[in-house]
Amino acid sequence: MNIQLQVLGHALRGVAEEMGAALVRSAFSANIKERRDCSTALFDERGRMVAQAEHIPVHLGAMPDAVAAVMRHDPSRADVFVLNDPFAGGTHLPDITIVSRTDLGFAVTRAHHADVGGVEPGSMPAASRTLEEEGVVIPPTRLEAGTLDRLVALMRNPDERHGDFRAQLAAHRLADERIAELCARHGAARIRAAMDKLLAYSERVVRAGIGHLPDGRFEATDVLEATEGELEIRAAVTIAGDGLEVDFTGTSPQHSGNLNCPLSVTRSATYFVVRCLTDPDVPASAGAFAPVRVTAPQGSLVNARPGAAVAGGNVETSCRIVDVLFRALGRAVSVPAQGQGTMNNLTLGNEQFTYYETIGGGQGACPDGPGPSGVHVTMSNTLTTPAEALELAYPLRVRRHVLRLGSGGDGRYRGGDGVVRELEALTACRASILSERRAHRPAGAEGGGSGEAGRNLLNGRELPAKTTVDLEPGDVLRIETPGGGGFGS
Amino acid sequence: MVVLGVDVGGTFTDAALIADGELRTAKVRTAERQEDSVLAAVAAVGASDVERFTHGTTVATNALLERKGARTAFVATEGFEHLLHVRRQNRAHLYRLCEAHPEPLVTIRDCHGVRERIGPDGILEPLDLDSLPDLDAEAVAVCLLFSFRDARHERAVADELARRLPAAHVVASHEVSPEFREYERASTTAADAYLGPRLAGYLRALGERSRAAGLPEPLVMRSSGGVASLEEAAAHASWALLSGPAGGVVGAARVAALAGFRDAIAFDMGGTSTDVCLISGGEAERSLERTIAGFPIRLPSVDVHTVGAGGGSIAWVDGGGALRVGPESAGAVPGPACYGLGGLRPTVTDANLVLGRLPRRLADGLELDAAAAAHALDGIDAADVVEVVNAEMLRALRLVSVERGRDPRDLALVAFGGSGPLHACDLADELGVSTVLVPEAAGVLSALGLAVGDERRDHVRSEVRPLAEAGDLPGEGEADLRYRGQSFELSVPLGPGLDERFHALHEARYGYSDRGRPLELVAVRTADVRPGPPLVLPASRRKTATGPALVELDGATCWLPPGWVGVRDGGSWRLTKA
Repeated sequence: MNIQLQVLGHALRGVAEEMGAALVRSAFSANIKERRDCSTALFDERGRMVAQAEHIPVHLGAMPDAVAAVMRHDPSRADVFVLNDPFAGGTHLPDITIVSRTDLGFAVTRAHHADVGGVEPGSMPAASRTLEEEGVVIPPTRLEAGTLDRLVALMRNPDERHGDFRAQLAAHRLADERIAELCARHGAARIRAAMDKLLAYSERVVRAGIGHLPDGRFEATDVLEATEGELEIRAAVTIAGDGLEVDFTGTSPQHSGNLNCPLSVTRSATYFVVRCLTDPDVPASAGAFAPVRVTAPQGSLVNARPGAAVAGGNVETSCRIVDVLFRALGRAVSVPAQGQGTMNNLTLGNEQFTYYETIGGGQGACPDGPGPSGVHVTMSNTLTTPAEALELAYPLRVRRHVLRLGSGGDGRYRGGDGVVRELEALTACRASILSERRAHRPAGAEGGGSGEAGRNLLNGRELPAKTTVDLEPGDVLRIETPGGGGFGS
Repeated sequence: MVVLGVDVGGTFTDAALIADGELRTAKVRTAERQEDSVLAAVAAVGASDVERFTHGTTVATNALLERKGARTAFVATEGFEHLLHVRRQNRAHLYRLCEAHPEPLVTIRDCHGVRERIGPDGILEPLDLDSLPDLDAEAVAVCLLFSFRDARHERAVADELARRLPAAHVVASHEVSPEFREYERASTTAADAYLGPRLAGYLRALGERSRAAGLPEPLVMRSSGGVASLEEAAAHASWALLSGPAGGVVGAARVAALAGFRDAIAFDMGGTSTDVCLISGGEAERSLERTIAGFPIRLPSVDVHTVGAGGGSIAWVDGGGALRVGPESAGAVPGPACYGLGGLRPTVTDANLVLGRLPRRLADGLELDAAAAAHALDGIDAADVVEVVNAEMLRALRLVSVERGRDPRDLALVAFGGSGPLHACDLADELGVSTVLVPEAAGVLSALGLAVGDERRDHVRSEVRPLAEAGDLPGEGEADLRYRGQSFELSVPLGPGLDERFHALHEARYGYSDRGRPLELVAVRTADVRPGPPLVLPASRRKTATGPALVELDGATCWLPPGWVGVRDGGSWRLTKA
């Protein structure tokens, strides 16, 4: 590849990363600032992603849909759009996406806001049945004077929401400036030509990686633990030469709870698995995703119809899609054992405060080594909120946060251990738990043992995998997260 | 006055001696035992009647990288004993699922809890010293929750451990890093305890050797860019982790000041890595936290940004046909192919030689083999190699300047290290910097920075309360401030108009400010500083050069591309675009 190209690729990624760093450091929501639940990206005029600053994989394949949704509104150079509708470019409602124009295409920021309204504080209800119950649905909307005021008025803690929007918009101004500087230095035409070639390069790298996998059709299934019973995810992966196709036909229909996924989330999970198994270091771009085709029946759990509740799809179903795809590809090549397979979403709040966290667990062991303990395993990689930061800001106390020793599966390489985390309420509030792998244990690979299933407890009494409860001061929630599966016997 | 600085590096140990307004330098090979190298360099430079002797050491850093510290135990609040293993729960690589974080410095067996609890507003559960198990360790780190606010429990535990284990090195977190966020504080404390016995042993041995050699007791450069007494340095090893790079940045700041620049970027490109640091108002910028060998260290340190590429970095073509440089390096042995010492793979230095940017013979007599360099490159365009490595350098230079709201056109680039002066002008062009400064002593600038470094003691007081309720603040120092609700702080110099300066800095750094939002004071930082002696550069005849040209320096070569002119004046080259 031409050197100028590489230099320009470097510069474009630098802009995306700088946007991300500025957003994290100046935001207000714990999810963005402490846990880095946000992503930033640059797109070309045709809506193809050319550079992304990745913090969490679930945004991987979902950003392009946001740009596509905005392009349908024929945006002018000065327009800025905001959206969160999972069926028009979004993922789940707390992830608010802003799209602006640049001299070379589009800039995008996506960040998980602490609250977007809806029936439960924190907007991650355990039992929602429609999208409206989960919060304010924002279709692609042109920002005009008063747009943001109108939106934040529908959410809890509007002042904090305003702060997060300002942080996002500042990242867009930064992108605009930096792109203009790049054009002044290198010429817009040259950069446009370079973008095309960068996309072609990423595509070549990923195609070469897929080419190393054996041809064939590989199928697998796994289940989700919905309140009303088990739901099945079924995938058939076809590898033919340097292309890969995933078909989710046979997956359960969308359900009345919130484990439904828009297709964009399903695509993200698929890209994640391809990336892990081909070239983990190839820069994320439209080119890197080009060799991968995803099909899923409309109205299924992994391609739900507009209006379906999706709070848990983005965080939980996405994990299971990864498990199913690894299991299918495990019939062709060695893959890691299953990790905890959940993000253990915990939301606490009342009308005065909202606090959301996800909790790490065991990673499944790999063909070449043990699984790490107490980490996020697939579609997330957010950090903990330090106990000291949490207690300074919220009426909560952390009672315990230790490794759940021995919870990882046995094997030639051991699965990682889960963790035990206890939170005490210091004031009356509501708690929502959205978790998985409470009944089914994360499986080992190639003869390795399963990891322990997770548990949720309130004052020692077992709670279901998905639940909303009222807490009184002194009540203690204890979450034991699953261990990862072991590898080899 | 006679002042001496000695800097121990991986390959060479450098000495710089300023005696009665004259500079002498020496370079010796680094020996197995650092104290031998120090004394050898002192002898080589011919030091006598030295009044001030400053030392930069890599003993602590190497012990951390090579995992050769003390057998260490860890004591935390019960329920948090696995703090060093739980970390912040993120995995090491997004897509390499089993990539491991570095193994914690304390094994899980040696992590213990003690019954007690302090919250944001005081004691919640009294300390039960009987719950403290008997430990067997050479060093112990103690980190209890909220000790940055109330250190009583932590102090009592440390005292009890010192009583039970009189030979052990016991470190309490509030002594090292009294700031909130328990994992980062615990990680810093664990490193401090783990490295303590090793660094203290080395410094004691060096002190004795120095006394025997008629030298004053050495002062030691700390990560903060200030020097401290041997005893202070030995007490807290984690403060010495950036001892080496700090000397270079201090030297660069002084060189810039002599040339009339208060604001500059230090650019130190060596064999395997490159250190870049912003100099602001005549001083190195400091960061409050950094990651060293995978461990967060929450201590003020010169804000050096390191890129894993240097003159010895290897160029290669990846699976997609893209040319890449580093992170693999040919190191000192075998070194670049052109050294003729057995290296066969092409390095940045080989590319520079093929491009005619290095002399055929280095100052130390080594003959460079251009044919070997060309053969190693095997069809890779040498200009491409330089361009790829420059792109990485440029990213680092932008990170410490443009991305912090600084206009590079106001800055000078101070280039040193073996390869810095080779790449500086091209980088300045790309960055928009108009002046490059290259000291004649580019090869030993770190030792020179040590010789003249200020004495400095840093203090931090944790606050985490609304600024409006903070009461009287010191007149000098810095306040860590943020908008209430944010997680990251900006350090603003104390003094009148603190609020307004915070808003302005936030605007410059992040693109917006919000004057209606209340401010939170996170910490107050002060430092006692005793200025070091004046810098003296070699008196040299005024000389000029016009690019394209090679200028040979003491231990480095400077490349002046076409269109650049250089003037040597007062011991440094000032390079500008014609």
